[in-house]
Amino acid sequence: MIPDFTGRIVGRRALPAIVMALIAGCLCPARAQTSSRERIKAFAKLPDWSGFWEWDVLVGQADGQQLSPEGLGKVQAYTAAVHPAFNAAWQAKYDQAKKALDVAVAAAPDQPPATYQPCVAPPFFLATAQPGIYEWRVTPEETTLISTMGSVRHIYTDGRAHPPKDELWPTNMGDSVGHWEGDTLVVDTVATKPEIRVPERDIFFTVIPMSDQLHFVERIRMVNRNEMQIQFTTEDPIALAKPMNVTLTWVRVTNTNRMTEENDCDPATDRNPVVNGRFTTVVR
Amino acid sequence: MKVRGALIALFVLFGCVSFTSGQNLNSKARVETFAKLPDWSGMWEPDIFVGQADGQQFSQEALQKMKARAEALRPSFTPEYQAKYEQIRKSIEAAIAADPLHPPATHQPLCGSPPFPATFTPGMFEWRVTPEETTFISTVGAVRHVYTDGRSHPPKDLLWPTLMGDSIGHWEGDTLVVDTIATKRRIYMGELTGFFVPMSDQLRFTERIRMVNHDAIQIDYTVEDPIALTKPIHAVFTQTRVTDFDRMLEEADCEENERDPVVNGRFTTVTH
Amino acid sequence: MRAKIALASLVFFAGIVLAIPAFAHHSHAMFDSTKQVTLVGTVKEFDWDNPHCWIQVLVPDPNNSQAAPVEWGVEMDSPLALYRRGWRPGSLKAGDEITVVINPLRDGRTSGQLVSVTGPDGKIIGHPAEVTK
Repeated sequence: MIPDFTGRIVGRRALPAIVMALIAGCLCPARAQTSSRERIKAFAKLPDWSGFWEWDVLVGQADGQQLSPEGLGKVQAYTAAVHPAFNAAWQAKYDQAKKALDVAVAAAPDQPPATYQPCVAPPFFLATAQPGIYEWRVTPEETTLISTMGSVRHIYTDGRAHPPKDELWPTNMGDSVGHWEGDTLVVDTVATKPEIRVPERDIFFTVIPMSDQLHFVERIRMVNRNEMQIQFTTEDPIALAKPMNVTLTWVRVTNTNRMTEENDCDPATDRNPVVNGRFTTVVR
Repeated sequence: MKVRGALIALFVLFGCVSFTSGQNLNSKARVETFAKLPDWSGMWEPDIFVGQADGQQFSQEALQKMKARAEALRPSFTPEYQAKYEQIRKSIEAAIAADPLHPPATHQPLCGSPPFPATFTPGMFEWRVTPEETTFISTVGAVRHVYTDGRSHPPKDLLWPTLMGDSIGHWEGDTLVVDTIATKRRIYMGELTGFFVPMSDQLRFTERIRMVNHDAIQIDYTVEDPIALTKPIHAVFTQTRVTDFDRMLEEADCEENERDPVVNGRFTTVTH
Repeated sequence: MRAKIALASLVFFAGIVLAIPAFAHHSHAMFDSTKQVTLVGTVKEFDWDNPHCWIQVLVPDPNNSQAAPVEWGVEMDSPLALYRRGWRPGSLKAGDEITVVINPLRDGRTSGQLVSVTGPDGKIIGHPAEVTK
């Protein structure tokens, strides 16, 4: 006679079942740690964006970082598309800042002014239009975007809202929440630093403060196995006469299988340190 | 005929639309693999930060844990590397003595990613577990890619040292076993102002990572270097689940208000 | 007056546009993209490191074989970007004889942005930019 787990005495015929249950229990201790059925079902409905991606502007780039003629054309189109349609008050701020930038560039063409911080992840507004490789990590509660330039964006897709205004503070990446419309991820971002960096020629940026109503919407979709599209809208009813729209295309990367970091600058060996607000070159 | 043609066209159109939208979805195989993986979703932090005060002072319990771990992490250097360690330590002691109020900047300020392993330094963490990769992300800028699709490390002549090295892993039940090589060839010593001692190119790390209960992830951490160490280093770290916050907000952005700049190779403080 | 300024800035823009890398580690305006200089020399060092790889080349004086060679620094892309275009950490070694075309620094110092590299075997390495004759 064999006791079962409740202490009742059971007959011999129950033994195989008990043994099987014991074996199953021992072989499957991790069952409790795996995803719930709901989570697995939710995962099954998500698109597979795995692999590596890059901004199509960079295709054909040369080893000295020169863009291909096609890439150059695309970047010019991008720069034109993201040039803000400021209202009159903000246009005046822009004109003043642009004049100061032109003067700074002309004053020392061999030491260009550093209009952004190198060696750190680029801010939200530029994070999806960078050199380097991107990776999406898509799971039910969150889609995470990671780049070899150091950006990490967390897009929460579990239905949570943005925190209330008095619990938000501006950060480089802001606060992003998203939801799926079929295989399109729709993302809403607030609380970035209230500024825009307007790309000028040759990665100079004119930095313009914006209002706290600065707000971004993205519609992101894998249009085919080798291409993703991001429809990117910038809104600021206080600073802009109308929203800015641009579509970015990313293509699949097939010539490497590692997300190797690219933006790590060791001050001891960096040969383009920023000195007094200007990019310099260490010749040796 | 017209109606039939229209129906066929509609059917084909519907088929195309479903095919297109179905094309991008996770395959059955990917879903099945995902279903077997543990759910490590949520946010985590090193257990020593539990109970930390607002001026960054640690709790008594944390201080004791840190002391025990510091002992566990203490390297047993071979004579050649012991000599390197002593030389570096001596020069830092001298630099501190020369200007105790402005200690030498013996490591980069924490404005970017901490180096490998980044799993027991400050920050909140996320483990993004999917079939081909588990990605570790921290709020202080660390990102570690652990490839779990069976790929091996690249051959030696195609590797170069990076902050995070090259990590590959495999699952043993609910334990992720990670092998890392090609980090920067150095080991961090948490003494004086904190400094690095160079190691050999045989430096290698093994981690066995497991969610031991709903609120704790344990990392069994081993460091090997047969040239620089007489025996491996071994320590166990715990991450606890974060329940008082729900966002991975960046913490290491130094552009805003850096009041501890490095000036002439020394840490300084801007008082106002 | 306004038209003249607009034209001047357009010309400036066109001059720079030839070489813009688009949102790279730093501005490349310190290099003169309208000029190309050819260096024939020996590799002193091939520095495979973030954020840029560098080649240090020793270039002998073609007019004076007694003079010490001049060292030039050639700035390239990041290790990952170069790797994807066929470069490897061991693609160049000290002592390799190479020909490098660069866009030189505007300030006249001995450094420039890579345009192309021809290796010891006479073959172009990686993905060059356009070399103008």
